[in-house]
Amino acid sequence: MVGSFPQTKTAMLTILIVDDSPVAREILKKCLPRDKNYSIIEAGNGQEALEKFCQYRPEVTFMDMTMPVMDGFQAIAEIKQVDPQAIIIAATADVQQKAKERIAKLGAFLHLPKPVTRQGVQNALQQAEQSLKGAG
Amino acid sequence: MAAEDMAFSAMEKDILQELMNIGFGQAAADLAQVIDLAIELSVPDIQLFKACELHEHIATEVDSDREVSIVEQYFLGKFKGIALLVFPAKAGKQLVSLFGLQNSPSRPSSHFDQLEKEAMVEVGNILIGACVGKITELLQDVVIYSPPRVMIEDVRRSSLPKNLFAPDSMAISMKTVFHFEQQEISGQLFLIANQESIAWLKSALHSFLEQYE
Repeated sequence: MVGSFPQTKTAMLTILIVDDSPVAREILKKCLPRDKNYSIIEAGNGQEALEKFCQYRPEVTFMDMTMPVMDGFQAIAEIKQVDPQAIIIAATADVQQKAKERIAKLGAFLHLPKPVTRQGVQNALQQAEQSLKGAG
Repeated sequence: MAAEDMAFSAMEKDILQELMNIGFGQAAADLAQVIDLAIELSVPDIQLFKACELHEHIATEVDSDREVSIVEQYFLGKFKGIALLVFPAKAGKQLVSLFGLQNSPSRPSSHFDQLEKEAMVEVGNILIGACVGKITELLQDVVIYSPPRVMIEDVRRSSLPKNLFAPDSMAISMKTVFHFEQQEISGQLFLIANQESIAWLKSALHSFLEQYE
């Protein structure tokens, strides 16, 4: 599940979308700004996400939390071990305060509640891009 | 509606799973505001079955050798059916303490049974109301609810009300399993919608997706 859009890595952001639901991944893709090109990589669980992260080193990762095989909590922890600076946006239906705190503690960049909206995804992405620019 | 038209495509099942996940996520957050705990969510399961086979359907999903407590509540809208919140019977005592409802040793055991029922009803009200409410809000429907009722029984005897579920009709079950972290309490929430809801549900799922086009 790689590259829904043409890839010229130097010019565009690489985004990893992780969700066990193909529909949820599709919805997230549709919420991305249409005037920009992104290189999209997809994964259906946390284990696959970790492998794809190591292979493609995406600038931004959207991560579901409730998934089979490996959940999003473990996947964030493992990715952060590989790259502590990784920008991971937790796109999740788990809106419990304790889940938000746990996600923040793991070092996720943002908590994005489901169902995602265009506005929500684009704001999150804008903040991620600003952070990337700031990091130089 | 012919039986083959009622089958859900992989995509429709996937959206329904996602909506159940969102609905139960909201329900867990609402309950966590009332009692200080975290609820571990799981991937929901969607199944179509004959209404007359409910007891078999539930019994295969629940440990049918154990006595269970079931909170039952009807929801009536375009999305119409019954919600069943299933706990092991012993969970009642743990829920009582989570709500901070203490029983005095001098009170009769029937009083404690009543407290357990009240705790169950409260959990049922919150989880079922928030979950069904969120799903129907996302699908542009409004439902009304019957008062919740607690039953302590053998799940193999469960049956659906015939006024909502004709025995030869189809029903759709959306199930999620949850676990109260650090409490050793697990439960299952089934939302079972009747055949009349299925055509509406399919159309509402497609409308939900269209908003992203």
